[in-house]
Amino acid sequence: MTEAEGREFSLPPGLELTDADILEAMQEIPGYLDITPQDFKEIYLLAYRHAWKRLAREQTAATIMSREVVTVTPATPVVEVVALMGRRGISGVPVVDQERQVLGVISEKDFFRLLGAEQPNFLALLATCLRTKGCLALPIKQKTAGEIMSAPAIVVRPQTSLQEIANLLATRRINRVPVVDEGGRLVGLVSRGDLVRALGPGEPRC
Amino acid sequence: MLKGFWRKMAGRTTSPPGVSWQEILWSWLGSFLGIGAVAVGHYVFFAGTELALILGSFGASAVLIYGAPKSPLAQPRNLLGGHLLGAFCGVTLVKLCPWPWLAAALAVSLAIAAMHLTRTLHPPGGATALIAVLGGPKTGYLFLLLPVLSGTLILLLIALLVNNLIPSRRYPEFWL
Repeated sequence: MTEAEGREFSLPPGLELTDADILEAMQEIPGYLDITPQDFKEIYLLAYRHAWKRLAREQTAATIMSREVVTVTPATPVVEVVALMGRRGISGVPVVDQERQVLGVISEKDFFRLLGAEQPNFLALLATCLRTKGCLALPIKQKTAGEIMSAPAIVVRPQTSLQEIANLLATRRINRVPVVDEGGRLVGLVSRGDLVRALGPGEPRC
Repeated sequence: MLKGFWRKMAGRTTSPPGVSWQEILWSWLGSFLGIGAVAVGHYVFFAGTELALILGSFGASAVLIYGAPKSPLAQPRNLLGGHLLGAFCGVTLVKLCPWPWLAAALAVSLAIAAMHLTRTLHPPGGATALIAVLGGPKTGYLFLLLPVLSGTLILLLIALLVNNLIPSRRYPEFWL
């Protein structure tokens, strides 16, 4: 299988198979095993990758989403939104109406942008702050959630596969996605952290 | 206890996947050239003599070294060690044992045990042991040199050439 040699083989750290692991395992099985340790390693890595892909395809948002979701309404003042996010230690929150339909999402990135940070990180924000006379947050102090949210929201359904969600988070550069039913009503939230817990850091390189 | 006996015979998995047509082509080509080389060598140098360069068990080795070069059973150590051990067991037992059926059974079984011990398991080695007893080469231990060692070296040389010239193959997986 010389065509496999050019690729990089890797498993999540901790699951790296050493030749010693394989040899010891072979010795545990009585009888002659007609396979070289190297071939076994290659099959193991390829099969592991297949299993990972199958899992990403078959598992859906419904299996891993949080069902207790912190939300705000469009009328919620920004002051309250920020206080809520800070208190709960969350970096994003869906904005829902009375029927619990998802209208938009407010995330940390939105605040970085609104406050004039050159990059979406804290120090960039601090840099802008140090250069500015007066309060950076003045423009948004009096606003409501509905006025600053990103809309329309990017959402998924409970039956959306983890594979699709992973692609979505990567291509749209978002860190969470609300899960809605057929009426657009919020039923859960899938965060990047939820994905990592379910699938590991990413597709095994093989 | 006996219930497991029958259940075990039912098997428990499937046969591995088949190979691509390219693999079939390379297997055919390698074995054609390998056996061809030994056969031509035999007919040119040894036809009509008491000596031989070719042996029936070489066909079995061809299956392994040209048809399944990744198998641990097909590696050079196994090819050479297996045949030599099998030949040694066969020739020795012909000399020591007056009953052909017993010599045959002991030759093959001892050859297998010896191959396991030396990690040179090679199915054609068992065939060589049997041929040494039944086929009755009259040359005694010279049999180990001609055809066993010389023939297998030719097969090995062709395998090293053909398998490594083919882009999708490599051989051997290990020497020791």
